[in-house]
Amino acid sequence: MFNKIKKWLEVRIGLDDLTRTQLTEYRVPKNVNIFATLGFVALAGYALEVISGIFLLIYYTPHPDHAFRSVQDIMTRVPYGWLFRQMHVMGSNILIAVVMLHMVTVFLMGNYKRPRELTWVGGGLMLLVTLTFGLSGYLLPWTQLSYWATTVVTSMPTAFPYVGDFIARLLRGGDYISGITLGRFFALHIAILPPVFLSLIALHLFLIRRIGISATPFGTSDEEKRPLTEYKKKTYPDGSPYYPYFFRKQLLMVMIYVAVMFFLITFMPAMFSPDEANTPANPLKTPFHIRPEWYFLAPYQMLKLIPNKFLGISIQIILVGIFLLWPFLDSQKEKNVFKRPVLRGVFTFLLALWVVLMFWGKY
Amino acid sequence: MKRRNFFKLLLAFLGSISFASFAYPLIRFLAPPGLEAKTKKLSLSKGEIPVGSAKNIVFNNTPAIIINRTDKGLVALSKICTHLGCIVEYNRDKNRLLCPCHAGVYDLEGNVLSGPPPRPLQKLPLKVEGETIVIG
Repeated sequence: MFNKIKKWLEVRIGLDDLTRTQLTEYRVPKNVNIFATLGFVALAGYALEVISGIFLLIYYTPHPDHAFRSVQDIMTRVPYGWLFRQMHVMGSNILIAVVMLHMVTVFLMGNYKRPRELTWVGGGLMLLVTLTFGLSGYLLPWTQLSYWATTVVTSMPTAFPYVGDFIARLLRGGDYISGITLGRFFALHIAILPPVFLSLIALHLFLIRRIGISATPFGTSDEEKRPLTEYKKKTYPDGSPYYPYFFRKQLLMVMIYVAVMFFLITFMPAMFSPDEANTPANPLKTPFHIRPEWYFLAPYQMLKLIPNKFLGISIQIILVGIFLLWPFLDSQKEKNVFKRPVLRGVFTFLLALWVVLMFWGKY
Repeated sequence: MKRRNFFKLLLAFLGSISFASFAYPLIRFLAPPGLEAKTKKLSLSKGEIPVGSAKNIVFNNTPAIIINRTDKGLVALSKICTHLGCIVEYNRDKNRLLCPCHAGVYDLEGNVLSGPPPRPLQKLPLKVEGETIVIG
């Protein structure tokens, strides 16, 4: 039976050739490490977000009078609604952690270097879109936390002269957060961002396959030494087949990801929901200690520390620009971070700064 | 049994369990919420429906009608047409219940006179206790 289906498909789409060239004969370098699987884990995590999100959409009502109630109903009355909502919430948080780890390891291995600058830029844009996903999804439960966090964030553009106020009003659909904002953020979260994100995924994956996966710099590296003036796909004739060897490794990491997710759902269900996340939004009363999610804490603390509002936000934007264009700014041929003491020092400093600011922002 | 086949079986078994543990919550999640079968009685006073008139009610989430017929007295009928579920309307002049969708015609007993409906309209139990009409 199974063979019959396979044969039927074979005649129509040439499955054998496809699996051979893309899976079994597609080879990855022998010394590939566990960090090379993180992109795939992030992709799987994103797929889980999509699936659980679609389930939530069935019961969620995007209206200020009903949003909070409908989320409460999903959590308490819909059979297993709590499971899908927790998967969505926990998943979003650990997904962002995985994406950040992916970024850091790619950076350390120098895999963004020529000819892979565009892959890095695409990935950087994906990180920004992912953070926008987090930001827009945050408002949807219409809690005190989401209402006031969104108030703070949408007020940020007002630091810019002339256009700032207009941008802020455009984001909010008015002078303050209202049902109009909820509608906008809902559209952003479920209809505008997904296709944008999917296009970026397609670009990212296309480039990885087109240029060839990057060798880890530890040990031998050959290609990066020569001047790259023409297109050449990097292949590994002596590497191990992607399927089943590397694919199995990726699958193991995805299983670990899911296991962590369910561990958190089971033993720390309230990890990302303080009291303010369980009270309905009240536009007339700002709660104390209003804080963004952990992944925004460091930039948030930086904003609080810099006395000039315009300067603070400009610095943030410049930093994002540097981050996106980093491959074009780093002209060193050497990929191995262990042979680049200055870069290592700067990186360690930035990482420490991020962690310190994050914990500082928390208290 | 070969070791390889044993592991294949084991994988299939564990895989099925994992799949089921996700499929079951999903089916429960998507299943329509159970309607509490409210067999509550509905009572209204007799004075509300003089002879020759009718009153629309909702009984157990079902749109229904109580008609005080000139010849045979009170009757309570479900308004759901037995053809494809449209809502029939009481026509006082013709003494008929007409379905707007596919021209089903019922008499005031709920019997089909013409059109596609396969069965008479569902009758609701109706009792008169003194001055009160009790449905259910």
